[in-house]
Amino acid sequence: MHEIPVIYFLWVSALLFATGFAIMILKRNAIFVLMGIELILNAANLNLIAFSRADDQNQGLMLGLFVLVVGVCEMSIALAIILQVYRRYKNIDIDQFNARN
Amino acid sequence: MNSPVGLAFLLLAILTCGSALVMLWTRKVLHAALALFMSMLGLAGLYVLAYADVMAVSHLMIYVGGVLILLLFGIMMTNSKGSKTDEVNDLWTEQGGKFWAIGIGLSLFLGLCWLFSRNNWTEPVNGPTGSKIVQVGIAFLTDYSFAFELTGVFLLIALVGATYIAKNDA
Repeated sequence: MHEIPVIYFLWVSALLFATGFAIMILKRNAIFVLMGIELILNAANLNLIAFSRADDQNQGLMLGLFVLVVGVCEMSIALAIILQVYRRYKNIDIDQFNARN
Repeated sequence: MNSPVGLAFLLLAILTCGSALVMLWTRKVLHAALALFMSMLGLAGLYVLAYADVMAVSHLMIYVGGVLILLLFGIMMTNSKGSKTDEVNDLWTEQGGKFWAIGIGLSLFLGLCWLFSRNNWTEPVNGPTGSKIVQVGIAFLTDYSFAFELTGVFLLIALVGATYIAKNDA
């Protein structure tokens, strides 16, 4: 059984983080930005899991499971906020929001 | 990387990273949701290759089964005719936005790779093989019991709050 070195997971995670960040500042649709945030969250989670491989106490794995729950909560609340924003502005483009209308 | 495990890792990494790049490339929200789906599938496979089967199964259940459906509902409900979200997504700014986003992303990626290459993480680690579900279950109810209960309360608060925020009080 050949093991995968940690550095390969780190490369994948670095690419996911960079892509998520680029999506976050490139796209104007609020749901698209949310997807970029999810990619960043999962990149961090992949790091935790990869480093938890050598740990016999599974600390990274447990933290990863808790991060998963926090990600779900963030996603549900953000989608509810986006829904309210759409009801108010009839639009979910990020740079069209201002406090005056 | 010539073993079957290495080949599987390569395929899953290509699936994950390629889908993420498709998300960056595409301008349609539904295509991006599909690409996010494929990316999450590949990520679950990567968790299996890191010997974290519990994480892989819960990731599949939560992301593919829950978050993605929620996202599709969000796309569907904020997507009426006359709104601009049905059309292409515009760039962050009209000029130079794409350059800056991709430049910052690329420099982040290269910087992280440089940072990782300075450490000695290239040799394979030897950890325990086999399923970790018994250890995780015991750890949830002994060492992490307070965090586990707190997570339950947090999830309840978040769901009640999301319902309250999303209700239509016209």
